[in-house]
Amino acid sequence: MAMAVLRREGRRFAISPNPIAAVRSSIFPAEEQAPLGVRSISTQIVRNRMKSVKSIQKITKAMKMVAASKLRAIQSKAENSRGLWQPFTALLGDTPSVEVKKDVIVTISSDKGLCGGINSTSVKISKALNKLNAGPDKETKYVILGEKAKAQLIRDSKKDIELNITELQKNPLNYAQVSVIADDILKNVEYDALRVVFNKFQSVVAFLPTVSTVLSPEVVEKESEAGGKLGDLDSYEVEGGETKSEILQNLTEFQFSCVLFNGVLENACSEQGARMSAMDSSSRNAGEMLDRLTLSYNRTRQASITTELIEIISGASALEG
Amino acid sequence: MASNAAVPFWRSAGMTYITYSNICASLVRNCLKEPHKTEAISREKVHFVVSKWADGKPEKPTIRTDQPE
Repeated sequence: MAMAVLRREGRRFAISPNPIAAVRSSIFPAEEQAPLGVRSISTQIVRNRMKSVKSIQKITKAMKMVAASKLRAIQSKAENSRGLWQPFTALLGDTPSVEVKKDVIVTISSDKGLCGGINSTSVKISKALNKLNAGPDKETKYVILGEKAKAQLIRDSKKDIELNITELQKNPLNYAQVSVIADDILKNVEYDALRVVFNKFQSVVAFLPTVSTVLSPEVVEKESEAGGKLGDLDSYEVEGGETKSEILQNLTEFQFSCVLFNGVLENACSEQGARMSAMDSSSRNAGEMLDRLTLSYNRTRQASITTELIEIISGASALEG
Repeated sequence: MASNAAVPFWRSAGMTYITYSNICASLVRNCLKEPHKTEAISREKVHFVVSKWADGKPEKPTIRTDQPE
């Protein structure tokens, strides 16, 4: 019995004119197969690629739409938050040139990728700041917000990473959250100057890598007494019974949380903008690729039809003649 | 300015100005009337993951959140 089955199987294999087709029929649907004896060029691969490019284009288009709607929501927030740090800059100034011993670089980046070069930009700026502030008795530490800057900084300066904060954007960004983060940073890191690095949002396609410096109260006091860039701080009158250092400490803490809030918002805004333009160009690229593939597909199809016609006509004329 | 005298007390309790102002802000939010209250309270959701690093290695991350998972 078993032998008979085997023999039958063997006969079928022997008779089958196209053994490869028999194997392929189990993988591909039957309708994809050309009838016996037709030697056409297979368009299967091109068709599959067209299908995949089309679905990639759909995905990138959807991502672009999502980024655009998120951008609108976050852009007004970011622009409103600029009013928070501006009074501080008027009062305490933004003085990146002040030399201090303990620098803390707060690098703001995104958690998710596919958003152009904004994360590499902020990492590059942070590294440059690190080099700029390096010195024999100086110490520079990183505080990293977001997954992507961590992945880049872990490579060559993981010894300097002090704190890493992620999953900021699970809820819509708000001040309460950012201030808790700022609080955590202040409590866990010793600093003379905090340098917040982020991408400032200018337009959907333009982001300015920005550094905001927050000096510690002691440094501010020293600077204002030395009469440097912060010399006119003394002309402000302090109300109440507090000493100047107390006021300065409160101010510095609040300034840092405001600057961080603005930085996080601006960076999130830039992220969505960058993602939007990146997705826009990638859907355009997919469209161009699809055009090229369609062209070559149609050409191949046309060529095979022409060949068939020629074969039929020449066969018919051979019969006649 | 009644709060002026309070500064040394909350500072010696280990609070920063940020914590202090957050507590004040939360108090103000809770004083609002509905429907503004729920809207304002929805703006104080906190969720992030923080991990300290020591000697080039991350320690176990802690999740800071105010919502039950």
